[in-house]
Amino acid sequence: MINEANFHPSTELLQKFAAGTLSGGMNVAISAHVELCELCRKQTSELEAKATIDWLQTPADDNGAEYSDMIANIISHPQLNKAEEKKSILSEMHMLDHSVSLPKVLAKAAAEGLVWKKLGGGINQAQISLDDETQCEFIYMQPGSQTPVHKHQGSEVTLVLDGSFSDELGQYGRSDFIMRTSIDVHQPRSDEGCLCFAVLDKPLTFTKGIARLLNPLNNYRFKKALSQNTNF
Amino acid sequence: MADISLAMDTIMMGTFPAKKEAQRKQARDSSVPLAANRLDPDSDESLLIAVGTKQSTDAFNELFNRFSKRVFAHGMKITRNEQLSKDLVQEAMLTVWQKAPLYDLDRGTAQSWIFTLTRNRCFDMLRKQKRQPSCVSADDIWPGEFEDVDAHGKKEHEFIEVEISLVEKYLSQLPAAQQAVVEQVYLFDRTHEEASALLEIPLGTLKSRLRLAMGKLRQLIGNEND
Ligand SMILES: [Zn+2]
Repeated sequence: MINEANFHPSTELLQKFAAGTLSGGMNVAISAHVELCELCRKQTSELEAKATIDWLQTPADDNGAEYSDMIANIISHPQLNKAEEKKSILSEMHMLDHSVSLPKVLAKAAAEGLVWKKLGGGINQAQISLDDETQCEFIYMQPGSQTPVHKHQGSEVTLVLDGSFSDELGQYGRSDFIMRTSIDVHQPRSDEGCLCFAVLDKPLTFTKGIARLLNPLNNYRFKKALSQNTNF
Repeated sequence: MADISLAMDTIMMGTFPAKKEAQRKQARDSSVPLAANRLDPDSDESLLIAVGTKQSTDAFNELFNRFSKRVFAHGMKITRNEQLSKDLVQEAMLTVWQKAPLYDLDRGTAQSWIFTLTRNRCFDMLRKQKRQPSCVSADDIWPGEFEDVDAHGKKEHEFIEVEISLVEKYLSQLPAAQQAVVEQVYLFDRTHEEASALLEIPLGTLKSRLRLAMGKLRQLIGNEND
């Protein structure tokens, strides 16, 4: 991949990713970045090796559990001969004049279809539900768009998938991983348009104006609607 | 609403090439001797290979003794629940048994292999227990665990097209009164009764508007796609 990321998850975050202690939504965002970023891929496998060592060094006690039945049950299962075929999954998102290849995990997360809503100011949002702790969404900022000024109750992670955007602190392009916390008040804008994946700890609070929900439409439900209609 | 530049007409579905070069390289660099002919027969790797190639239950018993406490401890760390942690021992050690034929030294140390699959099973188990959406699983998040190494260079092109067109432009061609009922019923998933109350129109009027609107929409979409 030619475009190297300039903004990466912190080592602490990658450590938790390797150890498996993060929420589903955060894991998905980091996994997607790691797929696009060789540097973080390397670091993750190093951190997995470290996590293994930590795991082996942690005192382990299972209160003398008796496992002979479990072992007998396990070895009664057949073994696998080869890895199951990976199901083919959606991997590209078609924009107006080009298509964007999605990291595998995001393709999987979006496989059931995205429901795009128009927010104010040229911002489009498609939420996906991954866990109870985070709000996850694809964001498409149209060229020349700007989000309302907002701050966060928790943290917000944004992974750029296509195009670019900027805020008070910098300019971000494909594969950049940006983390904002509750102390940041920012107003992202995009001149050329931008597709992102975002994970929010808690929903945003808007500090100025109201992002009004405009005609949230989607063909997914619409198809359902058409088929239901035949019963009329 | 012509300004929407997001054309989600089609989404192509295809496969993704595996990316585990770095991981495999890393594994070779680790301290455990990985040349198969020099393996200590008592090493975790030898045991795992014996389970995978000879279905050795002795080797599996030994691996179980070496690792079950650690798997349990990982479960306790993440779930803080003894029963779930015991379930994790079952899940993870079952995976060790079932997938042992897929293990080879290129995949890294046996310890690392067992740790990552323990982590992954724990993640999946917890999501299932919390009834979280199953659209993504550990295998999607941490690729490489069980990917077929041979399939690495193989790239399949299997495309399925999924239509996600924006119906906005069709809807905008309807009279406002019809747009309103479609929105209430199909976008906000309201019942006919709720929608008629909200729009302050009789139920019969709502139903007939809806029928007209859907007929018109079908016509518009049909015309465009013929
Ligand atoms: Zn990175």
